[in-house]
Amino acid sequence: MVHVIVQAQVVVMTHAYGKRSGVRYMTNGLKVYYVPWRPFLMQNTLPTFYGTLPILRTILIRERISLVHGHQAFSTLCHEALMHARTMGCKVVFTDHSLYGFADIGSIHMNKVLQFTLADVNQAICVSHTSKENTVLRSGIPPEKVFVVPNAVDTAMFKPAPKRLSFDEIIIVVISRLVYRKGADLLVEVIPEVCRLFPNVRFIVGGDGPKRVRLEEMREKHSLQDRVEMLGAVPHAQVRSVLISGHIFLNSSLTEAFCIAILEAASCGLLTVSTRVGGVPEVLPDDMIVLAEPVPSDMVRAIAKAIHILPKIDPHDMHLRMKNLYSWHDVARRTEIVYDCALRCPSENLLQRLSRYLKCGAWAGKLFCLVMIVDFLFWQLLQLWKPLQDIEEVPDLVFPQHEYE
Amino acid sequence: MESLVLENPTRPKWKKVAYGGMQLGYDDNYTDESFLEEMVMNANVVKRDLSKVMRDAVSISQYLCIVALVGCVWTYTLESIVDETSLLFLDVGLLVLGFLVLLLTSQRLSLQVFFKYFLNISFFISGLYVLAPIYCTLTRSISSDSIWALTVSLLIVHLFLHDYSGSTIRPPGALNNPTLTSNISLNASIVASVLIASRLPSRLHVFAIMLFSLQVFLFAPFVMYCIKKFSFKLHIVVSFILTSITLGIIFQLHLLLFVLFFGLLVFITVVCPCWLIKMQEYKFEINGPWDEAKLCFDITE
Repeated sequence: MVHVIVQAQVVVMTHAYGKRSGVRYMTNGLKVYYVPWRPFLMQNTLPTFYGTLPILRTILIRERISLVHGHQAFSTLCHEALMHARTMGCKVVFTDHSLYGFADIGSIHMNKVLQFTLADVNQAICVSHTSKENTVLRSGIPPEKVFVVPNAVDTAMFKPAPKRLSFDEIIIVVISRLVYRKGADLLVEVIPEVCRLFPNVRFIVGGDGPKRVRLEEMREKHSLQDRVEMLGAVPHAQVRSVLISGHIFLNSSLTEAFCIAILEAASCGLLTVSTRVGGVPEVLPDDMIVLAEPVPSDMVRAIAKAIHILPKIDPHDMHLRMKNLYSWHDVARRTEIVYDCALRCPSENLLQRLSRYLKCGAWAGKLFCLVMIVDFLFWQLLQLWKPLQDIEEVPDLVFPQHEYE
Repeated sequence: MESLVLENPTRPKWKKVAYGGMQLGYDDNYTDESFLEEMVMNANVVKRDLSKVMRDAVSISQYLCIVALVGCVWTYTLESIVDETSLLFLDVGLLVLGFLVLLLTSQRLSLQVFFKYFLNISFFISGLYVLAPIYCTLTRSISSDSIWALTVSLLIVHLFLHDYSGSTIRPPGALNNPTLTSNISLNASIVASVLIASRLPSRLHVFAIMLFSLQVFLFAPFVMYCIKKFSFKLHIVVSFILTSITLGIIFQLHLLLFVLFFGLLVFITVVCPCWLIKMQEYKFEINGPWDEAKLCFDITE
């Protein structure tokens, strides 16, 4: 995720992936620590509260880290790392990539966890304005502390097809995990209807998931085997080749904070039809996307509209516009501003920070304080057990090729 | 960072978009006036009305009375105040009364349905009669105290999980199937009856008390459900009569128990509804564009 920030030294810490654990250097000199912590469910590590403090402390000292940036509200590793980093006096930035409701037990729990982490971050980043509203509501963080920095797309990797496709047959591409939240059930309703209305439309569905069976059933039921192609999981490297074989990209998500898939499709010159959920309306200018309510009839209408305006869309023109609208360099520059803000925040002692935790709720506030005090004591114990001067700092490595890109 | 926004009339209007890099004249942490504009509060909150909640709570206290009456009959039988013949008369009386209520309240009850019920019940009774000797000696090696303790805890489980709004026996024309918890509740009450029956001296005793308990636990909610569906006023009247009878019987049994039970009834029918209404003030529901969209059609797997 952190690719282009140049001046500062960036070190990435993540959990072990399969057999990959330890310290690795990526092609551009980016250093990644794969902490030997096994993910237990959906790429998340077991919450251990204090288990990661010793290794995190060593890494932070070895690498002379002054700022820690954590991603994703579901990641326990992120929450733990941010908590320990605060205890050790580092500055902390958090990025939220998800939207969450307020009604069910799961959301209430996750919102409390988020509140705990965000009570003490210096700055937070959200990927869209809707996501910012959601994060502010969920965690009670002052809105001035939350920056909106969207994701971007590597337009060089997603170039449109060199030759313009013919319009004899219109191909609609869907690439997403086939799960409930991505609206696979909407697809089941929409695809047969569109096929019935437009005899020259074909669908290519890339992706896998529990709802794939339903899509295949739909295909059998309406005998659309020759008009709906199911590709199964598409590796990221092949996404472009699938995208450029179509005219229209269809996104049926029920919830989405930002949706990078839309950017990739637009960068390949596809016209996007998407549900109007979460941050999707902010992602593209109105003339590059057709939005619909997450209702089958409205989506069919939107697809019909997209087919109608399709001849006016020039993929190469679209690609050039995307180049101007989104770039990772811009994201990096804006993230650096956030980092600067965080670094300029005054340092606070434990008592000042505890008073902030205490405001998080009658019971939760006290619990949060307790967690932080134990963390502080544990850190002090580690300071005695393995003093600072015993930990070796990493010498700077100078790579022949300094800048990436 | 302190936002360095100066009130400049010439700068372009801020737009709620993520594309196009940083917006000219605005920092990334700029919070527009339209922030949280689309938030909707308490959109689908159901307004509750005190008298309605209290009337609904009557179902709970009514069933509580029924269970208390069963407990009284158990106690009297174990103390040999009620003998087996009067118990059998009670069983027959309840059966006839139940059938009468069903006949009177249900419009759809034809002779065929009646015959079906009759056949089922006769199977049930003969099965129970055959099994009575087994129940009679089931817990001979266990002390009475443990049995009472177990019975009381099972009854608490039964009351806790009982389906007060419906009936575990599916009445003709009911929409929903009984839930898992209501089935667990029913089973707990049956086990409790078996435990109590096993402390009795003779087979006929066991048969009579088992028949009585099962009749009540299986069919009383069903009969009461039918009454409630037939007429709500009748339901309230029946509940009132049942409550008075129960209170009278418990008063004769034990004074402290009477006070406790009376307190419980008041708590359920008066205090709890008021409490619920009071807590409604704190209801706070937030909806907005970040909510996951709900599908407007049913998914048929």
